[in-house]
Amino acid sequence: MAAKISLRNVTKQFTVRPGKGSKASRRSQDSQPGAAGKTGTQEPATLTALDSLSLDVRDGEFLTLVGPSGSGKTTLLDLLAGLSTPTSGEVLVDGRPVTGPGKDRAVVFQQYALFPWRTASANVSIGLEGRGIDGRKPNRRERAAKASEYLKLVGLAGFEERFPHELSGGMKQRVAIARSLAYQPDVLLMDEPFAALDAQTREQLQDELLRIWRATGKTIVFITHGIDEAVYLGQRVAVLSARPGRLKEIVDVDIPDRDGEDDIRSHPAFVEQRHKVWTLLHDEVRLAQDAGHRKILPDGTAPDEIPGTTLERSAA
Amino acid sequence: MTTTLAQQPAASAAPKQAPAVGHSGPVEEGRRSTTAIPAFVRTAAARAGSALWKSAGIIAFLALWELGPTYLASPSTRVFLPPLHEVVAAWGKLFESGTIQGHLAASLTRSVSGFGGALVAGVSLGLLIAWYGRLNSVLNPLLELFRNTAALALLPVFTLLLGIGEESKISIVAYAAFFPVLLNTIAGVKTVDPLLIRAAKSLGLSSLALFRKVILPSAVPTIFTGIRMAGTASILVLIAAEMVGAKAGLGYLIVNAQSSFLIPDMYAGILTVSLLGLSVNFLLVALERHFSRWRTAVGSGS
Repeated sequence: MAAKISLRNVTKQFTVRPGKGSKASRRSQDSQPGAAGKTGTQEPATLTALDSLSLDVRDGEFLTLVGPSGSGKTTLLDLLAGLSTPTSGEVLVDGRPVTGPGKDRAVVFQQYALFPWRTASANVSIGLEGRGIDGRKPNRRERAAKASEYLKLVGLAGFEERFPHELSGGMKQRVAIARSLAYQPDVLLMDEPFAALDAQTREQLQDELLRIWRATGKTIVFITHGIDEAVYLGQRVAVLSARPGRLKEIVDVDIPDRDGEDDIRSHPAFVEQRHKVWTLLHDEVRLAQDAGHRKILPDGTAPDEIPGTTLERSAA
Repeated sequence: MTTTLAQQPAASAAPKQAPAVGHSGPVEEGRRSTTAIPAFVRTAAARAGSALWKSAGIIAFLALWELGPTYLASPSTRVFLPPLHEVVAAWGKLFESGTIQGHLAASLTRSVSGFGGALVAGVSLGLLIAWYGRLNSVLNPLLELFRNTAALALLPVFTLLLGIGEESKISIVAYAAFFPVLLNTIAGVKTVDPLLIRAAKSLGLSSLALFRKVILPSAVPTIFTGIRMAGTASILVLIAAEMVGAKAGLGYLIVNAQSSFLIPDMYAGILTVSLLGLSVNFLLVALERHFSRWRTAVGSGS
């Protein structure tokens, strides 16, 4: 099968600015209180988030991506989305280098990122407000119809006029998924989309996502913390190493009778694959923990990062 | 706003029904509760009860104003602090002769034109400054300097440069209203959730669309806070400016009444100023509600 997305020797480096208790770190969902103090007096340092990573994603594939905290998962997704550019190497989608965000790719964020002043319907249709692929602008009624169609696809028919604050977390994420699907991208990039949901809602949405994937045939790159989730959803699981992120291994998930009614999670094949991924990840997680790696924020700062340890490893 | 919306129909329904049913309150109450919306009447009654409770402070104050001068104050103080009914009577006379309307119109013209100018200038310049970070770093110290210079301190400057006519008063109102609007606009644009910007970019929105569809709407509540502050500031400064040099306006009315020893008239002027301030604030709050109704119901009780 042809490669839909290919990453060739992609390296991404950030210049880490000294930790600051200002806007960026305070507003971030990821910064922990009290953690910023550690980085009061450091000089700008280079931090390698991804180190010559090569990866092919096949057309129509569901690829899940796991890795320890700070292994550059979100960085990788940003590169694929075109929200940032690699320091070196190439990111290709359909054989063409990615130069910026495009209508062929959509991103689903962990924190939903819905526009709170728009109703569910208006949120879904925001991607349709510009010129479509055929060069014409859909009018208001066409957009609303499209929005209803996709809200129905994610199981939210009848919630068109609700504002995001009137929806539960799971419903918000459904709206976000509908929004990404509405402008019909080929590729869906998902950054821990179900991490903030409760276990029951998460399982439900996982199944819905699989259903949508089968119905639409999109290529999905799905980042997750959860090994279970990665094995459950993915046709292949890509395991990243601790920072600097490299591709450690790709595990082919081969579970017979996936569409059956049985609980796949207790199937021997599932358990076996899960254990395989767990083993691969386990060492890396420990490495990352010892090095004190934390998440890099989208603007390239790592407010709670301890610099010495990262430099050691990225120099190696 | 919800209270007013609910009460307005009730208030407009009552006079219509009053002639038909006569003045038998309970009958009217029973009749209305049997119509299509009995729950509505119940909530209206509950609202009226809570409104009564909320206005208890004001009623107590007015009672003190009415009774205090008569029974508590010495006769000499009573001259300078007339009881409420005298003030209301004076207000009525001023209203009948059209004096108060004239002064109110003069004040309103000035504050509306000054405030409007400040609004347009403040919002557009604020958006510009927030969008171009470079501009912000140049202008920010200057803006801080101007902002912290009390507007009234500049009143002599405005009077010298623009004369004692309308221009100087409108300009100083505009000056006082400009900074809250400007600074809140800048703050509103700068505090847009970065995640929303990322999401908008990933949706392929152009810079202009990003600004129009994400940054502006998300800044609206903060901008409105500035507008409300500006509303208060503009009335404050206007009254002071009118007290110093004017031939019409509420500030002039107050000072003129004082110097002519028409003490009840002076209080009538003061009362009008507070009512004007209240209604301006009420209007702005209603507007703010309208434009921010997507927000979670934080503080909707106030």
